[in-house]
Amino acid sequence: MSKLKGLGGERKKKVLAKLGEFGKAIVQDFERGIPPRLKIPSRGTSNIVYDERHRYYVLGPAYGIRSAASMTQVKKLAQTLCVADFCRQLVNSGKFATLREMYYTAEGWETGPFYDQEESNILVEDLEAIFGLKREDLGLMPEEDGAAVFGEIVLKEDNSVIDATKAGRGGYTIPPTIDEVEFVKCKAKRVIAIETMGMYHRFVQERAWKRFNALIVGLKGQAARATRRFIKRVNEELGLPVYLFTDGDPFGFHIAMVIISGSAKLAYINHELAVPDAKYIGVTASDITNYKLPTDKLRELDVARLKQLQKDPRYNTEFWQREIKKMIELGKKAEQQAFAKYGLEYVVKEYLPAKLREVEGEKFINP
Amino acid sequence: MRTLADELFREFREHSVSEFFRKNAAMLGYTGKIRSLTTVVHEGVTNSIDACEEAGILPEVKVWIKRVNEEPDHFHVIIEDNGPGIPEEFIPDVFGKMLAGTKLHRNQQQRGQQGIGVSGATMFAQMTTGKPTEVITSTGNGEIVRAEVMIDVNKNVGQVIRKTKMRGKWRGTKVRFDVKDVSYIRSRYGPFNYLRLTAIANPHVRIIFEEPDGTLTVFERGSEEIPDRPKPMPLHPAGVMADDLLVLAKLTKSKTVGNFLVSELSRMTKERVSEVERISGVNMRKKPSELTWEDAEKVVRAFRKMKFMAPSTSGLRPIGKENIEKGIHQILSPEFVAVVSRPPKVYRGGIPFAVESAIAYGGGAGRAVGRSEEGEIGEVETEGMELMRFANRVPLVFDQGGCAITAAVKSIDWRRYGVDVTTAPMTVMVNIVSSYVPYTSAGKQSVAAEPEIYEEVRNAVMDVARELRYHLHRKQRQKEREERAGIFEKYLPIIATKAAGLAGVDPPSFERVLMKVMGMEDVEA
Repeated sequence: MSKLKGLGGERKKKVLAKLGEFGKAIVQDFERGIPPRLKIPSRGTSNIVYDERHRYYVLGPAYGIRSAASMTQVKKLAQTLCVADFCRQLVNSGKFATLREMYYTAEGWETGPFYDQEESNILVEDLEAIFGLKREDLGLMPEEDGAAVFGEIVLKEDNSVIDATKAGRGGYTIPPTIDEVEFVKCKAKRVIAIETMGMYHRFVQERAWKRFNALIVGLKGQAARATRRFIKRVNEELGLPVYLFTDGDPFGFHIAMVIISGSAKLAYINHELAVPDAKYIGVTASDITNYKLPTDKLRELDVARLKQLQKDPRYNTEFWQREIKKMIELGKKAEQQAFAKYGLEYVVKEYLPAKLREVEGEKFINP
Repeated sequence: MRTLADELFREFREHSVSEFFRKNAAMLGYTGKIRSLTTVVHEGVTNSIDACEEAGILPEVKVWIKRVNEEPDHFHVIIEDNGPGIPEEFIPDVFGKMLAGTKLHRNQQQRGQQGIGVSGATMFAQMTTGKPTEVITSTGNGEIVRAEVMIDVNKNVGQVIRKTKMRGKWRGTKVRFDVKDVSYIRSRYGPFNYLRLTAIANPHVRIIFEEPDGTLTVFERGSEEIPDRPKPMPLHPAGVMADDLLVLAKLTKSKTVGNFLVSELSRMTKERVSEVERISGVNMRKKPSELTWEDAEKVVRAFRKMKFMAPSTSGLRPIGKENIEKGIHQILSPEFVAVVSRPPKVYRGGIPFAVESAIAYGGGAGRAVGRSEEGEIGEVETEGMELMRFANRVPLVFDQGGCAITAAVKSIDWRRYGVDVTTAPMTVMVNIVSSYVPYTSAGKQSVAAEPEIYEEVRNAVMDVARELRYHLHRKQRQKEREERAGIFEKYLPIIATKAAGLAGVDPPSFERVLMKVMGMEDVEA
């Protein structure tokens, strides 16, 4: 079970070491009389490349320089150091602050207040990109909570031990500080992430978590960073395969794809978020015809978006190209809940087992 | 072809002086209420400075303008100098005789050229108020003369209508003109600016000025050096006109035209006379008085075909680089001055002239847009370029638009010199020095666009503008350096401290890096 030990302590050490090295290099520059300069990986669109091997977006080799020898950059550099030092204090004390709190804290810094929060947010992204660490690792957290998890996993947050089957119908709420959370015990064998909370509750009511030995994750639309990080961690640390179940439309496809391959915007930390092995199970265009699902007509916007996806390198697989093409030809889309046509339990009793057998083959034993 | 002089003399013979004056008021400077007052001040002050210089005295001139009886357009203009004083018998001529001792054809660089001078002011006073001009003067012999002078317009002579004498140890002249139909405004056309300009171009003169509201301004001396008096210069053949020849011929003592040309013109020799005779066909042995208009024209045409040594410039009396600088420092206290005094050139093929120019930047330089309550000269608010034009040290205040100096200065692309003329606190000064300044009109307030003069003014101003550009550039660099230093001094210690905090060590010294970045060009520059 050593694998299930919380990584919080080690992460903290790693982060402090990185910050220390960072500071040391600058101190050494001063001692040698060399104006310190930072190489900051460029996050412009021209430097975001799709990594075929890892199957997610990464930053290219381009970087910008922030030099103490430049009149226009020296202030930014000082602010960057202030943010880094603020993060060191947070990590040291084990506290978390929101980006907004940091923005207000800066009012008291020697470098003076930021012009707006965007300005301080960018410095945080700079540090994330420099260190390859997420802001959560630096003691900064997003405002919003992650999604809900229901299933047989026991977690430890500080001194509370939580069983995700005993946290009420809503399940365990993934906190922004998910990296601090220890996985104490896990009986689940797979993860099923679901786009809508309606379907999530259907799965919970039908005891799908028990039936499929799964952690049911309700994404609430586009997945929050904390949710993605949770999925990444259970996939990586507990070795659970991840299945994604969304509406059968371009937006549902993309909610799944961001979990699989990460977003372009967060290319600099996709190695901490992307779950390239996660599998999309539906609703596919083929499902629409195979299951004769009730549909809606594709809107113009949907078609345009589908055509965009066709060209997106993340969708450059036989499966996706086939399904996208098919959906455009059909001119139809279908929601997850369309399976209710065959009764409320149908999706859990018929559809899901069929799909899981498809992806897991012989390994999957229908309960 | 008749010259202006001929016209003046003809008018003068045919009409009474007062009628002449009225007819020619414009060209004598007596038009408009503001300009007339400035002209009275100009005539009085010029007279005072000339008298002092001629006597080798450092001039000190006091000017009062006092409102009379609260009337809006009635003033006393009082001008006092520390000059040699006027011997009693000359008082009527100096203040009362129009065109006395004509300066025409003396071909000498001087302040006034009209021969009207201060008697014009007497005339103006007499015509507007009917009052005599009061003169108090002493040559320092212990006797002070007080005289009231009027002009007998029929005989064109000055008359002392009342005279008193007193004992006293004093030397100088004090004149009081009683004038109407004038108004006092502190605009660039008014007496204040006129005196300010005079002070700049004549740094050896101390001027004290009291305005009607009692404001007292002292334009202190910037130099103790009395300029040399200009020397009369013979005309150069290349610049001479037929009528010049005829006038000179009437005055000469020479017996033959040939001798007359050698003695009255520069760069003429016996050999050149034979050449003139050969080319023109005019008999050089005839009497000068027998020279006809046609002869004169032929001679002038011959001159045009001949090559002469450049004219002597010994008669030109520029203010001089050093004195201009002193004058400007004294009056404008600018942060920067550049002055150029260019070597003489000729125009119309033979008339020597020289151009001096200066640029003052910052301090009191620039077009005045307001003034402090105390009227301190250095505390005037300024904005944009001010152009100060001078001809032989005399300020040209009027007719700026038609002047070759204005045109030349305007033709310069000031942006190339890093200057926005609408905002830069900058004064451009140009002085044209010549025995014969080509004015556009008899008002003598603007210089004609002779191509050589126009070009030379341009070159002179561009000379000083270049220096201004270097100055502004240096200043900008200095400012940037200071800004740079300020920024680095603020942020480098923060970087050092925070980095040390991250590394868990004591903050390193940032001094070496500071020295280094201050010695570097900005990495983006």
